[in-house]
Amino acid sequence: MALQLESSFDQIVDRCVESIESLDFAEAKAWKRASEGRALAGCFPVYSPLEIFHAAGALPVGLVGGGNRLEIAHADSRFQSFICSIVKSTLELGMTGKLDDFDGLVFHSICDPARNLASVYQRNFPDTKIEYIHFPQRIGAPDAVDYLAAEYARIALWAGELTGRPPSADDLRASIELYDAIRARIRALYALRSERPHLLSTRELYALVRYGHGVPPDVHLGVLDEALAQVAQRGGKPKDRARVVLIGSFCEQPPLDLIASIESAGCYIVDDDFLLGRRFFTEDVGADCDQPLVRLADAYVRRSVDSSVKHDLGHSKAERLVERARAQRADAVVVLTAKFCEPALFDYALYRKALQEAHLPHVFLEFEEKMWLFDKIKSEIETFVESLLFA
Amino acid sequence: MAVTAEYQGRLHHLQKELMAQYYRELTESSEGHGKKAAYLLIGGNPVELLRAFDILPVYPEVNALQLAVKKQSLGHIQAAEGMGYSTDNCAYVKADIGLYFSGRKTPFATIPEPDLLLCNYVGCNVYLHWFDHLAQYTKRPAFHLDVPFIRTKSGGPTNDDFAYVMRQLRQLIEVCEGITGRRLDEDKLREAVTLSSKTGELWSKIKHLTKRTPSPYDAYFDSVTMMAPLYCLRGTPAGVEFFETAYAEYAAKADAGEGPLAREDVRFVIEGPPPWPYLRQFRDMFSRWNAVAVASTYSTVGGLWEFGFVHDPDKPLESIAEHLLRWNLTNRNFLQRYDQIERYLEEWHADALVIHSVKSCRLFSAGQGDMREYFTKRGVSTLLVESDLEDPRYFSEAQMRNRIDAFFESLAHRKLTHAQA
Amino acid sequence: MAFAAGVDVGSTQTKCVIVDEGNAIVARALINTGSNVTRAAERAFEQALEAVSMSRADVACVAGTGYGRFKVTFGDLQITEISCHAKGACSVFPGTRTVIDMGGQDAKGIKVQDGEVLDFVMNDKCAAGTGRFLATAAEALNQPLDAIGELSLQARNPVRLSTVCTVFVESDIMAYLAQGKKVPDILGGIHGAIAARTIALVRRVGLEPEITFTGGVSLNIGMVRALEERLGTRVNVCDDSHFMGAIGAAAFALERAMANAVAPVPGVAGAAGAA
Repeated sequence: MALQLESSFDQIVDRCVESIESLDFAEAKAWKRASEGRALAGCFPVYSPLEIFHAAGALPVGLVGGGNRLEIAHADSRFQSFICSIVKSTLELGMTGKLDDFDGLVFHSICDPARNLASVYQRNFPDTKIEYIHFPQRIGAPDAVDYLAAEYARIALWAGELTGRPPSADDLRASIELYDAIRARIRALYALRSERPHLLSTRELYALVRYGHGVPPDVHLGVLDEALAQVAQRGGKPKDRARVVLIGSFCEQPPLDLIASIESAGCYIVDDDFLLGRRFFTEDVGADCDQPLVRLADAYVRRSVDSSVKHDLGHSKAERLVERARAQRADAVVVLTAKFCEPALFDYALYRKALQEAHLPHVFLEFEEKMWLFDKIKSEIETFVESLLFA
Repeated sequence: MAVTAEYQGRLHHLQKELMAQYYRELTESSEGHGKKAAYLLIGGNPVELLRAFDILPVYPEVNALQLAVKKQSLGHIQAAEGMGYSTDNCAYVKADIGLYFSGRKTPFATIPEPDLLLCNYVGCNVYLHWFDHLAQYTKRPAFHLDVPFIRTKSGGPTNDDFAYVMRQLRQLIEVCEGITGRRLDEDKLREAVTLSSKTGELWSKIKHLTKRTPSPYDAYFDSVTMMAPLYCLRGTPAGVEFFETAYAEYAAKADAGEGPLAREDVRFVIEGPPPWPYLRQFRDMFSRWNAVAVASTYSTVGGLWEFGFVHDPDKPLESIAEHLLRWNLTNRNFLQRYDQIERYLEEWHADALVIHSVKSCRLFSAGQGDMREYFTKRGVSTLLVESDLEDPRYFSEAQMRNRIDAFFESLAHRKLTHAQA
Repeated sequence: MAFAAGVDVGSTQTKCVIVDEGNAIVARALINTGSNVTRAAERAFEQALEAVSMSRADVACVAGTGYGRFKVTFGDLQITEISCHAKGACSVFPGTRTVIDMGGQDAKGIKVQDGEVLDFVMNDKCAAGTGRFLATAAEALNQPLDAIGELSLQARNPVRLSTVCTVFVESDIMAYLAQGKKVPDILGGIHGAIAARTIALVRRVGLEPEITFTGGVSLNIGMVRALEERLGTRVNVCDDSHFMGAIGAAAFALERAMANAVAPVPGVAGAAGAA
């Protein structure tokens, strides 16, 4: 009996892995074909108000680059060598026809290259509907919520154009409830991971979360519930590994094998910000409200996690990182950023100082989504872990 | 010639004098017996408001570029890298952070500590990080002016965007009142906006002079030296005086058929910031081909006046908001820049486009490969060269020269063969 | 009978070509550049002259090209190697529309029409796609440089490189050897990766046939095949492919010798508008 449950969990994870490693968006396209009036909205990282697109009858699909199986043969000439790979691979996905079934793409203000990507994409695909969300960057300001709610109203109209059906308040409430449920499951998985990391590897957790990027939310919810049921019953003993918090403000995603390599080098990654956009709120948004768009905006402004692309002038994210690491009983922090990622690199300068002052060991590493040999980075982590053991 | 001799060098001397005065004010402020100082950024800057409060505007970008021109940027950049900043971070920021921690002394002034950090977020995401870091290092009051990016099909701000910026400008006024201990003097604001309006108008007229053949000045290499007064002195009588002189000098040259070079063989539009540490050498690489820039996108980062916008003294806050939202390069989207360049190519009668791609500034550079492809396909001879605006390590003279020579060589050759045909 | 000469001073090698009135090559010379660039230019010229028992006075016009073009002190013209490669490729293969040049330390793509450069793109920032990369790889595999091309054609299962950085390719190669991969397979992978990268570069100016492959690396049969495979079309190569810059320079020199028109080429003694 126990064996059957074990393999079932593995099967769930394998299914997720297969889905996320493919660049075909097969499930999303199948969902669209299954009925009239459906649309696909591609969402560039970090955070998009998925509920709005879902409420309009579209499937918000997370676009997280081309991984390590997409050769960037065409987009390379449009963006310079010092631009992060995900900007290029996203354009490449478009140029190789992989985004042809998408009715619209959504970008927002995270950094300058991503912002320019929206324009370059539009220029090359003039028939693709592209929208751009301006998230308020004065998070502490009193009118930030009102501003964002008005912006969300504008986006809701656009979402309605994709499907021919603007979202009603009831639609929005239903979507909030559904995505709240998903976020609650993800929080539960992360809590489990932190308490009993030997039960659930980061690779597995990552696959389960990322699976939701390409499938309808009700499907994702089902898989997460299945996984939660199975995982608590897994056997295994805790290993003597370093507890680390891993940050990197990811748009570009590290290859699964890299994540696995980091753990096999001697760590338990007890907290991370790999797919922050899907875990963006510290608590439920709450569907019980008169104005769901205002509620969503409020959640973004007041009840969301730290991110390198969210700014609250003068308030130290670095201090909160230290707090977070301590709350997780972390031995160390691993800063793993995508090459050329400006927001992450800027934040690192402040994190470094704060971590040093807090006497929290940390290591800084860079990756590219197209990596697929990990020997070097693995030995860097091993060296680092050894230094923790001998500290 | 009598006409030009009168103005010969006068502009140059006036610039030196006025900027020296400005830098003296910075030093005085740093010594505690000058004005209050506010740091702000160039892209869409609301300097008129600061001038209305008699607050001294300090531009870390201008300080950084001056350091680069004087070949003093590298030490500060390396100091910042030692603190944990990356080789891939914008070198303006690194030079500024390095400067801050080394005591804020430059060859031209001692930069005061900020009484206010005014982060005018007008398109450039790096600004947000920059001033966030400064706020944490200096522990001084910071105000964030969040200007929504131009992202609509119409190419303008939404009504909500406009209202949002107006609210923030009023909040900024309150903050300035707190810092100076004075209420806003509406007359002073009106005066600052009037002077700014005059300056903008003159700047626009100066820009339009380069439509003439030959162009009376180089719209890149000469424009960038006029940019410092545009930001540092706009809203003051000195600013107007400077631009009146500049207009008179260049208009006289235009009427006399004089240009910056003995001959004008090629007219080009140039996109991107200059390589400040190698300004002279870079200029020479174009001069030797008798090539003159007739328009530049970089000269519009702080404001775009040549297409008809001026500040309106009767609606001071509204026109400041318009300026921040729409009438500057940094808050406009990348495709609007293509339109801007197309307009320059056509209305200023240019033969070619030069794109100077800089590693530090992804706002400018990310996607210039696409820009190059776009214009090449439309039949515009386009050259793309690469280096950096602040970090001297990324400039390769031999390779730069090779590309520029090859480009103008083929242009010249084609002109020749088409003339013979 | 008027003769003209072209001298191409590259970072690693200096080449000289002498042509007759009909633009036919009568002599060529190739030497290592070494540290004295001016001397290298002179020696290459002298060697070519010796080969056909001519003296300097017999040559009506000399054009210098390459990075060291301004050091060709005895030259009458200095022209960039972009223009010269285009010119040279078109004189040897008149149907040329695209030139792919892979030299000792840079790679270029040139779009041409009727011998004129319409557009160009250069990789002069890193060594990937240049002779330097291949030389590093050859050394790491302990193979003579002129054998790796042939050897790469014997690949059965070309490896996939994780980097095209010259500095790091060595460690990649070491890793593969440790894994027991065969040398031809490694070379197959290397040639493929370089070809793909070069094509991505040249695509910026377009890949219109006929495509002519020039520069030192064009003598590498493995690279020729790797490019053809990925382009889906034949590429023009000739035994003189690495002389293409000098051939083009000689063609320009010949034009100047024959014509009366004075193009505004700076630095040319006696030319109007010269600095």
